[in-house]
Amino acid sequence: MKDTTIEIRWHGRGGQGAVTSAELIAMAAIAEGEYAQAFPSFGPERRGAPVLAFNRIDNANPIRARSSVINPDIVAVLDPGLLYITDVVSGLKQNGTLIVNSPKSLVDIKSEFGGPWKLAVVNATAIARELLGVNIVNTTMLGAVVKATGIIKMESLVEPIEERFGARAKRNIDACAKAYKEAEIAEPVAVRARQKREFQVEKWPAWQELLPGCVVIEAGSASQYRTGDWKSQHPESDYSKCIKCGLCYIYCPEGCIVPKLGEEGFFEADMYYCKGCGICAQECPKDVITMVEES
Amino acid sequence: MVKNRVSMEGSLAVAEAAKLARTDVVAAYPITPQTHIVERLAQLVADGELDANYIPVESEHSAMSACLGSSAVGARTFTATAGQGLELMHEVLFVASSSRLPIVMVVANRALSGPLSVWGDHSDVMAARDCGWIQIFAENVQQAFDLVICAFRIGEDPTVLFPVMVNIDGFHLSHVIEPLYLLCQEEVDKFLPPYKYPYALNPDKPVSIGAFGMPNIYTEAKKSQDMALRASKNVILKTWQEFGKLSGRNYLPVETYKVEDAEVLLLTMGSFSETAMIAIDALRERGEKVGLIRLRLWRPFPLEEFQKAVAKAKLIIVLDRALSFGRPTGPVCSEVQAALYPLKTKPEIVSFVGGLGGRDISAATFENIIRNGMEKAKSGRFDELEMIEVRQ
Repeated sequence: MKDTTIEIRWHGRGGQGAVTSAELIAMAAIAEGEYAQAFPSFGPERRGAPVLAFNRIDNANPIRARSSVINPDIVAVLDPGLLYITDVVSGLKQNGTLIVNSPKSLVDIKSEFGGPWKLAVVNATAIARELLGVNIVNTTMLGAVVKATGIIKMESLVEPIEERFGARAKRNIDACAKAYKEAEIAEPVAVRARQKREFQVEKWPAWQELLPGCVVIEAGSASQYRTGDWKSQHPESDYSKCIKCGLCYIYCPEGCIVPKLGEEGFFEADMYYCKGCGICAQECPKDVITMVEES
Repeated sequence: MVKNRVSMEGSLAVAEAAKLARTDVVAAYPITPQTHIVERLAQLVADGELDANYIPVESEHSAMSACLGSSAVGARTFTATAGQGLELMHEVLFVASSSRLPIVMVVANRALSGPLSVWGDHSDVMAARDCGWIQIFAENVQQAFDLVICAFRIGEDPTVLFPVMVNIDGFHLSHVIEPLYLLCQEEVDKFLPPYKYPYALNPDKPVSIGAFGMPNIYTEAKKSQDMALRASKNVILKTWQEFGKLSGRNYLPVETYKVEDAEVLLLTMGSFSETAMIAIDALRERGEKVGLIRLRLWRPFPLEEFQKAVAKAKLIIVLDRALSFGRPTGPVCSEVQAALYPLKTKPEIVSFVGGLGGRDISAATFENIIRNGMEKAKSGRFDELEMIEVRQ
């Protein structure tokens, strides 16, 4: 049987709505009479942590595969910061499509992430902030995905979005349409090999290496956990306004704001752990701290 | 009179074993027919004869949960339950085995509701078969006493670290008075060194027990647990050998009775095995080549020993004291079938279920079971599970 399935892998962060993106695509495709599925990478939900969602769409045959998408035809990246901590093009098929949310230009992204795939870039964060007032880019990114791939028709998304968002549907449809209009597309670079990038590879022990009961004998091992990978914004400080009150240090829920090295009384966030929650910026009485988008 | 020979009820013998083992913590909820065990332990603690904490919990779920905690801080921990009580513990049983906490528990085997029954069969332990505990069956009061003492040493061995369940038939063993050879405290102390849990919870040396396991570690965790449970058989064998040297009473994972040249083997577990021996004797006197085989060790399943023990037989007649509803055979018989299936030459297997909810099986009934099983084998009726002595 000829393989007629198109597979999509969505890279997002908990709270950005990658799962909703996948669900809306599937609902639209099913409404068009195709076979489709959408599902998340199952796991504990943590705002900001890298998450995956998957689609399969088939215009000829029912979909039987229920495993994660390893060799996608289409990859959509909802958060620009993920490009540098996750191998988003892992397994992406030759002549597939990579769709990226980034404030950078198509040329810049192409020089970093171009390859034997079609590339689409849209500043979905800016569109979402303008039209929705929040950095939730799920519906916005759909416009760019449809433009780059034609996987479904734009009008097929209207009903699923209305069903999902109710009173907020109009704004989401507008954001989607704006991304469709603004997304810039570059054709595959046939000759160019994939760029080599180093990513942190998690190493897991063999069964023989586990202690009885999987007991953890190292105290405080959670400190090895790089929660800094969860942020889509990071704090930047203008120390000329700082009164050294230390409220940022007190309010940081991660406990990652520490005395600034060599500068008595000032504080700074440890980016290894900072999740970009923005509480320090909110609490600072002198507006020293501003949250800046990761790019 | 022989030294240390006493008469004692099975439950009190179990309590005496837990006392001689210098149990630190008992957390238990009374339930028929286990009640005498925990009553006696509560009394021993109250009277100052056993220096232990007795935790009177509000349910079996709490009993096993309290046992988890006490075992994890390095306290030698004992509990006992039966029937519905074991099922109420069910989820915590898995936590105990996967956390590798060497709790010792006696189960006074009892039928499961409904209809509500306080009487004996093996429904309770069979429903907990796959909970990852070492599971051992006793056939008389002496064995109950001996096997509880051995259970502590097996479970606490640093290469084992598994909870151990010693099954004694409710009423038939828990409430029977028999002669018993006790061990003295010095002997038990020598045999059973103090419990030292290598990963004990300790504020000065913190550890985490019971952490969360993502899909990329869970399979390895289960493989590690299963391999360790299988490997525990070596320690079980060694412990029973050493106990044999101490007491003169020897235990094996698979025990046999008159199996030399036997063509037909009856397979039983628990206290009914001794009644079955009477039937074997009677049939032997009439020239029948029959023998008895008993699974003393149920988990880890003693596969090699079992295959070897039945290799020369032509027929195995399995008596299950529990039902697996809707299945072709009883829970023990399906294990026997699975254990023998890979062998090129193997005995045929006939499946019976009986002794449910406290119904006795007499020696005469065992004779009937064996004769009936041989008849069924002769006429090739291997595909049906037969319930014995059921009114119709």
